[in-house]
Amino acid sequence: MASPASPSSVNTAASPSQAPAEKPSAPPIDILPSLLAQTYSYVHPAVLLGLCALRFETVVADPVRELLADLPWLAALQISYVMLCLPPAGTTSIEVGSGADEDKKKAPRSPSGPSVTLRPGKPAYRRKQSSGRSGLAAIWAKLMSAFLSLALTSLLATPMIAVLLVLFGAPLTTHNAETLLCAAHMALLSATGLVYVHGVDGSIWKQVWGIARPADAVWGGALGTGLGAWFGAIPIPLDWDRPWQAFPITILAGAYIGCAFGSLVSRTPLLYGKRIEFAPEQVEEDEKKTN
Amino acid sequence: MVPTPPTGGLSSNSPSTGSRGSIQSSPLAPSTKAKQSAIQEAKSRQLEQEFKTKHLGILGVLTWVLLLHVAGIYFFTKGFLLTRMVLDNKSSCDLLPFEDASGRAVASSMGSKKGCWHDKSFDKAVVIIIDALRYDFTVPFVPRDESEAAHLFHDNIPVLYETAVNNPANAILLPFIADPPTTTLQRLKGLTTGTLPTFIDAGSNFAGTAIDEDNLVAQLHSAGKTLVHLGDDTWQSLFPGYFDANLSHPYDSFNVWDLHTVDNGVNEHLFPLLRPENKTKWDVIFGHYLGVDHAGHRYGPNHAAMAAKLQEMDGVIREIIASLDDDTLLVVMGDHGMDIKGDHGGESDDEVEAALWMYSKRGVFGRTSKETLLPPKHARERFVPQIDLVPTLSLLLGLPIPFNNLGSPIEEAFAGSSGNDWSNLLAVNRLSAAQIKRYQHAYATARGAGDDEESFALWTAADEEWKTASKGFTSKATAVRSSYELYRKYQRHTLEICRGLWARFDVSSMIEGVVLLLCGISLLVLYARGMKIDRTELTPQLLSFVGAGTGLGAVAGAGLVLFGITDMTAIDSSALLAAFGSMVGGLFALLKKPANLTLPLPNGMWGWLAVFFTVSQSVGFASNSYTIWEDEILLFFLTTFGVCAGISSMRQKSTADRVLGVYHSILFVILGRVASFSRLCREEQMPFCRSTYYASSTSSISAPWQLAIPFLVMVFLPSVVRSFYIGSKSYEGAATLWIGVAFRLGLLITSLFWVLEGADDGEWLPLRKETLKSIRVFLAQLVLAIAFGAGTGAFFYSKPCISVSVSKPPPEDPNAPPVPFIVGQQQQPRTTVTILGFGNVYGTRFFFLVVNFALAIIMMQKPMGQGAIALLIWQILSLLEILDTNALTLTNSPIGPIVLGLLGSFYYFKTGHQAVLSSIQWETVFIPMSTVKYPWAPLLVILNTFGAQILAAIAVPLTVLWKRPLQTHDRVSQSSNTKLVNPATRLLSDVVQAASTHMLYLATINLATTMWAGHLRRHLMLYRIFSPRFMMGAAVLGVVDVILMLVAVAGVRWSTISVGEIFGW
Repeated sequence: MASPASPSSVNTAASPSQAPAEKPSAPPIDILPSLLAQTYSYVHPAVLLGLCALRFETVVADPVRELLADLPWLAALQISYVMLCLPPAGTTSIEVGSGADEDKKKAPRSPSGPSVTLRPGKPAYRRKQSSGRSGLAAIWAKLMSAFLSLALTSLLATPMIAVLLVLFGAPLTTHNAETLLCAAHMALLSATGLVYVHGVDGSIWKQVWGIARPADAVWGGALGTGLGAWFGAIPIPLDWDRPWQAFPITILAGAYIGCAFGSLVSRTPLLYGKRIEFAPEQVEEDEKKTN
Repeated sequence: MVPTPPTGGLSSNSPSTGSRGSIQSSPLAPSTKAKQSAIQEAKSRQLEQEFKTKHLGILGVLTWVLLLHVAGIYFFTKGFLLTRMVLDNKSSCDLLPFEDASGRAVASSMGSKKGCWHDKSFDKAVVIIIDALRYDFTVPFVPRDESEAAHLFHDNIPVLYETAVNNPANAILLPFIADPPTTTLQRLKGLTTGTLPTFIDAGSNFAGTAIDEDNLVAQLHSAGKTLVHLGDDTWQSLFPGYFDANLSHPYDSFNVWDLHTVDNGVNEHLFPLLRPENKTKWDVIFGHYLGVDHAGHRYGPNHAAMAAKLQEMDGVIREIIASLDDDTLLVVMGDHGMDIKGDHGGESDDEVEAALWMYSKRGVFGRTSKETLLPPKHARERFVPQIDLVPTLSLLLGLPIPFNNLGSPIEEAFAGSSGNDWSNLLAVNRLSAAQIKRYQHAYATARGAGDDEESFALWTAADEEWKTASKGFTSKATAVRSSYELYRKYQRHTLEICRGLWARFDVSSMIEGVVLLLCGISLLVLYARGMKIDRTELTPQLLSFVGAGTGLGAVAGAGLVLFGITDMTAIDSSALLAAFGSMVGGLFALLKKPANLTLPLPNGMWGWLAVFFTVSQSVGFASNSYTIWEDEILLFFLTTFGVCAGISSMRQKSTADRVLGVYHSILFVILGRVASFSRLCREEQMPFCRSTYYASSTSSISAPWQLAIPFLVMVFLPSVVRSFYIGSKSYEGAATLWIGVAFRLGLLITSLFWVLEGADDGEWLPLRKETLKSIRVFLAQLVLAIAFGAGTGAFFYSKPCISVSVSKPPPEDPNAPPVPFIVGQQQQPRTTVTILGFGNVYGTRFFFLVVNFALAIIMMQKPMGQGAIALLIWQILSLLEILDTNALTLTNSPIGPIVLGLLGSFYYFKTGHQAVLSSIQWETVFIPMSTVKYPWAPLLVILNTFGAQILAAIAVPLTVLWKRPLQTHDRVSQSSNTKLVNPATRLLSDVVQAASTHMLYLATINLATTMWAGHLRRHLMLYRIFSPRFMMGAAVLGVVDVILMLVAVAGVRWSTISVGEIFGW
């Protein structure tokens, strides 16, 4: 799908109300500039994939036990990743995204370099800037964000993803442990980073629900988790009689792979900062879907 | 009372926010001359006429598409459904199958008095067929593991096993494997002719035709025997005129809800004939009991009714044994088995494993080894094919083996009571092998092909051994035995060859069909997605080019036949070329003005999603797994759509759109998941699936708690529909009566029907079964009358769902020229007309059609299916709101019609169906009828089977009509000063685009299943999986094409006219 389909006259003429929603203004999140952060941000996806590959056999043998045992490790991995590599909520400059933001054009649409420096002079900040004041305060902010992200991931994201899994056809009366554990793993993969960098900012979460965030490592990882899990469901019905076709395994494998690749791919200049559009002019998302 | 101003139409500017609520306007009537109003009226009439003409035109286009689909399916089916040449040769007494002199010598020496080709063992026979007598019914229950307990159908007919164990010389009991399709008609053909069924005959169970091949009944008849037939009337249609008219008593076989009439009838006439004084009146009796089969269809095997029926059969057989004499052979057999729900027709193990039991008071049966003394514990040990009965019975009764027979004599029947009569075994097997060889030779000659080499080698070897054996030297015994075994091997080998041979497909015809379908789809893509202009403008040219193409093609086709260029029949050749000609014509008409065209590629996420759903599902049908799990995959897709809809709704600017959109997206997903709990598993889904559609997985009646579902539907469904009407203030006018009263009343009667049905099954009421039945039939007919009779009439004449209120003007200025104004701009008091329900005037008016069909379809479903259909309607309404809030109605997005296609397929599975023949709920014919009447019976079965797809198809126009703003001629011409257009034809163009997009989905699925079935025609799973899915795809396409044309798009005519009458054109 090299070029978008030429929109027919009907479609362009009659879709004023569709208007690709309010252009979100919060910029993409960049990995922290320190060497450690930069390095680890590439190591982390590899670690995830490695974990996935290494524990695959044992998961196939006894999914519930192994997934449960892996859960703390995954949480620790994710927390160390976000704390090492990502700016905690409230430290990036956030242009107010409340309601009808008129100055949407100001949102940087192109890679703006790995910069966490504040941008004084911007009209409004959602919360107090705490980064950079002192090492202790920065660590405190990181810890608070990490705590918040863990709490929300386990309390909100996990049940939500579990419900979604059931809605997509996961068994309701049986395999509840598997569903819940699968949801927990997916939540850790996707939601930890999102909550850590965005906190509970309503306008950003509205973009998240609308899949309208600009591509960055965090968003790419989250979206990749979802898409990977979606594609992971495909081999389940096949009659190959392999033990790994059992319910949560392929979905989780897909989620891990999707998360790792999503976070890497969305940092490439090709995708960074781009948004998924539903309106006729773009086809990116569908490309992912059809490939 | 609706005011229709003399200007011919109510002029009112819809306020920008008014599309959802009410509008207010004051009638504009510049008190002008009557002349002007007359002009207006004429104009209006002209516009209405234009709409009607164009509407007829698009119906014509849809008819063309339907015919193309039919032609494609016809040509593919012609080549795909297997055919076998039927040879007219008959075996005769005088001519032994051997070509050598020795054969003739034997023939003459054996003579006629002791039997034709072989010494006869019996003069007379009683052949009892217990329809659907599965093998495991007849043997003692053997648990496969510790936890397995006996089912109700086990151990109820012990007589067969007991006799075979206690008196092995008197009785044998063997598994009796049917060749699919396991329908009674096909089985009777196999059991009398000894040939293999080919697919071309499958499904004609409901209209039997006479057998003209050589067969057992004909041989008996020509041997001068008196034949009696009792029971299932299929025999009479297969063998007309062969049975003694005075003694035979056929019974109607299709009333599967009646367990006893046929059986009692057979008993009534059978036992008198067995009395000594009547023994001379007959030679062979065929008795066909249907009770077991009907108990299976109605209740499933694991039901007390089945146990009782089997016990009754046990008693019947004991009684026959008691009155049997020494010269009479008794045969009891099942013609097929039944699956776990009691249905049959396919080729699953349970369906093909029947039982065969032979009995004689004279000990003639033997076992050739000690291990085979007991009847097999399971049906897959030492089984015999059903066609083996034909040579066995022929030779036992001293008849020639029917010419086309492929079966072999059953060993136990010829081995002698001590089990070592090898020379007899050799003799009979030499006879049957020779007959098979003769038949093969004749068949090969008729087809113009040579004999198979391997079978020739086998035959030669067997013949050599036979010659050694017949010379009678030292090694005689071993030679006899090895010769017997070689003949046997030859027969089985030939049988295998024939199984392969008759899986011979006419590939060129299949390709013609596939190409037709493919070209049809390409044209449909162009028509549905690649035109920029109003489709109704194309119609005249399109139709005339198509007509010309058809005519030329037909003539050319006939010409080809006339000049002998093709060996097709004239009709086939004309039809094929006419179809291609019409497509060339159509293509020409569509491509004539390239300016009108646009690349038919999807644009935007929705377009790609629609393509993705269609294409990925089509690709998936290449895999048996995805075909088996289609229901789960559809749920997955529908949830995916719901999630995408939620995401898209989150992006909407207007808060109302966002909130409503997200709400309906969540609702849509949850409803789909709730519906997914209604399941009827196919055999291949086991053990990962649990059926919930019936009381249990081995039953075909509803559980008592399921009887609550119709009441829940009655209480909630009308309210749900009402809430959607209220959302646009449209619960006005006819809607209150229609949805609030008539619909609910119909649903109430439906609930009562199922209570009575439950009462009948559970014997709760002290009423006679006949009384209950006639009350039920009356209630069901009443509901259908409300739905189709009253409903259709009302649909034609009803007014739109609006309410108009006029607030009185101040008396001083009655003649003031009212001007249209927008709410809030009121300057001075005037007559104010408030129209409620204005925002969804097209949609709510058309939705009545959905309500009518929903009522009829709900009536035709089992309780669980009624719940599913109710959820379908809710999901459709939710989908329409999603489309509206995401601005997908007016943009002609393909996603709406495609998701409706997904919904139709999804709910097909949720109403207790699967893509297998045995899941057709034939018994629903008896919901509104007490006997089978044509043409209603097939229509009712279609309504039951494809109900979900029909409803989805009828809802297709709503994807462009729901909350469509009212557009009339003057509004459009006011706003855009372009040339005069008729907005009604614009609407028509959108409707036909939606309809053809929906067709496109089904046509693609049909093409995919067709191509895969053709491509995988040698696949192990062809008959089990791919072929039924192909048939379902073709049937759905045909039904939906017709419904779209005759109901959905046709209905737009009346709904639009009724809106036009109020608001002008």
